[in-house]
This record gives sequence, C-alpha cells and structure tokens, in this order.
Amino acid sequence: MEFFLNSFEEFVGVNFWTMIFAWCNLLILYFFLRKLLFRPVKDMIDKRQKEIDDLYADAEEKRTSAGELKATYEEKIAGAEEEREEILRTAVRKAQLREEEILHEADETARRTLRRAEEQAEQEKKRALNEVKDEVSGMAIDIAAAVIGRDVDREEHEAMIDDFIRHMDDGDTPSAS
Amino acid sequence: MDLSITGPKIYFSITLFKDVPFIGVINVTQTMVSSFVVMVALIVAAYFLTRHLTIRPSRTQVLVEKGVSTLYNFVGETMGEHNLRFAPYIGALFLSSVCGTLIGMTQIFRAATADLSTTLAWALATTAIVWFYKIKNQGFLGFLKGFTEPIAVMTPMNIVSEIANPISLAFRHFGNIAGGSVLTALIYAALAALNNLFFGWLPKAVFAVFPTIFQVGIPAFLSIYFDLFSAFVQALVFCLLTMVYIGEANPPPAEVSADAAKN
Repeated sequence: MEFFLNSFEEFVGVNFWTMIFAWCNLLILYFFLRKLLFRPVKDMIDKRQKEIDDLYADAEEKRTSAGELKATYEEKIAGAEEEREEILRTAVRKAQLREEEILHEADETARRTLRRAEEQAEQEKKRALNEVKDEVSGMAIDIAAAVIGRDVDREEHEAMIDDFIRHMDDGDTPSAS
Repeated sequence: MDLSITGPKIYFSITLFKDVPFIGVINVTQTMVSSFVVMVALIVAAYFLTRHLTIRPSRTQVLVEKGVSTLYNFVGETMGEHNLRFAPYIGALFLSSVCGTLIGMTQIFRAATADLSTTLAWALATTAIVWFYKIKNQGFLGFLKGFTEPIAVMTPMNIVSEIANPISLAFRHFGNIAGGSVLTALIYAALAALNNLFFGWLPKAVFAVFPTIFQVGIPAFLSIYFDLFSAFVQALVFCLLTMVYIGEANPPPAEVSADAAKN
C-alpha cells in the first residue's frame, strides 16, 4: 500500500477498479433501495389504492341498495296513499248509503204513523157517527111517540130512520115513504 | 496564480500485481470515496424514510410516495408497463447520479460523476442489460442478425452505433459535470485575478482583509446552473436514455411473439 499526498488520476481517464467500484456501489444501492424503499412504498401505495377502490366499490354498492330501498319505500308510500283514498271513498259511499237508508226509514215510519193516525181517526169518526145515529134515531122515535101520542113500533121506525140517515150520508133527500 | 485541472485525487493505492497494466494497481480515489458515501447515505436515508410506513401517511411519507409513484409512472410511460420491474434500478441510478453530482458541492468530496470511470461503468451496465434482453428475446443469432437491418450495408454503422451508445452516454454525463467543475474553477481563478488587479496595489495587511471579494456571490449563480440544474438534467437524461434503450430491447410480450413468428 502506498500513500500519496498530491497524486491525481487523469482528468479524462478510465480506471478499471473505479469502474468496478462504481458498478458494485450501484448494484448494492439497487438491492438496498429496492428492499428498503421502492418495494415497501410501492406496496403501501398499491395497498392504499386497493383500500380506496374497495371503499368506493362498497360505497357504490351501498348507494345502489339504498336507492333500491328508497324506490321500494316510495312504492309502498304511494300504495298507502291509494289505499287511504280507497278507504275514504268506501267510507263516504257507505255513509251516503246509510244516510239514504235512514232517511228512507224515517220517511216510511212517518208515513206509517200518519196512515195509522188517519185510520184511527176514520174509525173514531165512524164510531161517533154510529153513536150519533143511535141517539138521533132514539130521540126521533121518542119525539115521534110524543107527537103521535102512542107507542110507535120501535123496530119499524128505527129501520125508517136508518134509511133516512143513510140517504143523508149519500147526500140526497130521502123520499118520504 | 496556479490553476490545475486534475482528475480525482488518489489517496492511496494497493498494488495487486506488479507490472500488470490497467488492473494491477487499485487506486483509492476521491471518486471511490464519494460514491461510497453516496451509497451509504442513500441506504441510511431510505431506511429512515421508510421505517414507519402507514396507510394514512405522514408528511414525509407523502413526499416519499410522491417520488416513488412518479418514478413508477415515468418508467411505465417510457418503457411500458411490462418493464416496471426496472423502476428500482432506474431509481437507484437516478439517485446515484444526482447525489453523486451534488456531493461535489460540499467541496469535501469530489463529484463521483465527474469521473469518466463512474459514468462509463453505468453506461456499460445499461449496454449489458440491453444486450441481455436482445439475446433473450431474439436469440443470439437474431441479435447478430439485428446488426444487418434494415440492409446488410448498414452493418458497420450499426456496430459503430452500438458501441457509440454507451460511450456517448458516459461522456455526456461525465462531460457536463466535469466541464461544469472546470468552468467553475476557471471562473474562480478569473475572479481572483480580477480581485488582484483591483486591490493588488493595497498594502499587504489591508489586502488580506478582503482577498477574494469578487469570488463572493457570482459563482453561486453559476453553481445553480452547473451543479444543481446540471445534476438533475444529466441524471434525467442518463436515466431516460437507459430506459429507452432497455425498453427498445425488451418490447411488450405481444411484440416479441410477433417478431418470433416473423423470423
């Protein structure tokens, strides 16, 4: 081994051992950088990229399913709206029917009551008329007996008076027979 | 004023074989030291930068990832996706080149890329990879036949260009960096001379107070170009050409099979 204080290589020159040295250094650097720097960093970048891709895919999937869910709900809500209207319509129709029914019933009842009252009144009237007829005929006989002064054949007279009243009912004057 | 343009300083030399030219003596030079320092520094930096990688990155990790993904994108675009496994090699080459140049700015170490040996070693590595892939993809005969294309007359030209590739690659890089350092040295010397001219008449005691007033500032601007800019551009060019050459030698799998079917 020789030491130099002031010795230089040529400015433009090639030294075999320097070349070998440069080459080895480059190779060593290559292996170390690949192992320490490029591979791990690249792996990390790829890993992150994958994670991001997964995340995006996941988000996309979730978005799609959410959209589907939303569509389903909207459909359901629309269905409910329709159902509500249907129910309402049915209820209104039923109520209308019921109303008509009630009115009809009331009408019927009123008519029936009126008819019964009319019938009753008719009967009352008939009875009253009969009573009046009996009394009048009795009175007429009594009056006639008093006038004539003797007993009149009651039965015969009664028939005569009834006939008279009947004719009076009919509205024309009975013949004096 | 003495100005000497020299190659890297030799610290000591180890004699392996006496009187054997070229490989007989190992000269341990500034270049070797610089490139070793760069290598160790980069490995240590890589170790510390990637110690705590997490899915949710820290600020440093974002920067590191930005760099790595830029590299991978760049390699993918230039060489094709099938050549992505060259990305670590290109990255190592780029970092070696940039740091090998920038280390010259410390003035403690000499730029490793200002030595033709370094750049030639890298260029030959590129050529070795290119030839390996050409022979692998086309077969040895196909590789030789490639020299006669498109016509047989072109054979000498093709051989020359094949040899010229690594040499031009190496000299471009070396020349830019070494030339920059030479220019910087020349300008320093010129500014020192100017300084001498303006203030040389002053008494020695006064002159010693501001001996290099002109050397302050002006070289810094030049250094931005010759050291910083040049370092990145040359590294980029070297890596880009390496990528192009290798990408050409190793086309996408579909093209390889198509070529094989044609032959």
